[in-house]
Amino acid sequence: MEEEAEAEEQQRFSYQQRLKAAVHYTVGCLCEEVALDKEMQFSKQTIAAISELTFRQCENFAKDLEMFARHARRTTINTEDVKLLARRSNSLLKYITDKSEEIAQTNLERKARKKKKSENGNHNSRELAEAGVVESEK
Amino acid sequence: MERAGAGAGFRKELVSRLLHVHFKDDKTKVSGDALQLMAELLKIFVVEAAVRGVRQAQAEDAILVDVDQLEKVLPQLLLDF
Repeated sequence: MEEEAEAEEQQRFSYQQRLKAAVHYTVGCLCEEVALDKEMQFSKQTIAAISELTFRQCENFAKDLEMFARHARRTTINTEDVKLLARRSNSLLKYITDKSEEIAQTNLERKARKKKKSENGNHNSRELAEAGVVESEK
Repeated sequence: MERAGAGAGFRKELVSRLLHVHFKDDKTKVSGDALQLMAELLKIFVVEAAVRGVRQAQAEDAILVDVDQLEKVLPQLLLDF
């Protein structure tokens, strides 16, 4: 029994390590962009520190988001919850609010395009189906 | 498919996994839009840390951003988030 618990603990640990590695990679890419833009290099330790910080900040974010959603009697976290997260700085809140509208707009357009495509598809397949029915009746 | 905001960023799947690790309730879910927004938030968090580090290094006439510079900008960064 103890071995099982230990194995589970190991699995959880290595999963977290893989997540941390993924975060580290993304942080590295973002810092590289900033470094190019500002013409200033980052030490490896700095990138590692930002990466560790981001990973830990996710824990705070996740717990807050879960609580916000539960407070609103929901199980699904939505964009309103995320906006609440960004409340501490006015400029951050504004940026996130604008982004939220941009995302909503983009997704709306994508859905409209998809719907149009599927309507055309249905129209074509209905024509084919009717043709098929006529065939078999013969 | 246009991508708003060129350059690196956090993938939705990574963000989802990062959040789910810390949820207390198994039933908690995250909407797609919220995931996208969280990816943006995390991106800003990293970029802010980086840019503030650069500003600190520039103020100190340092040749690169080292942990010493990062430590100085950390308190305000965490307060802003």
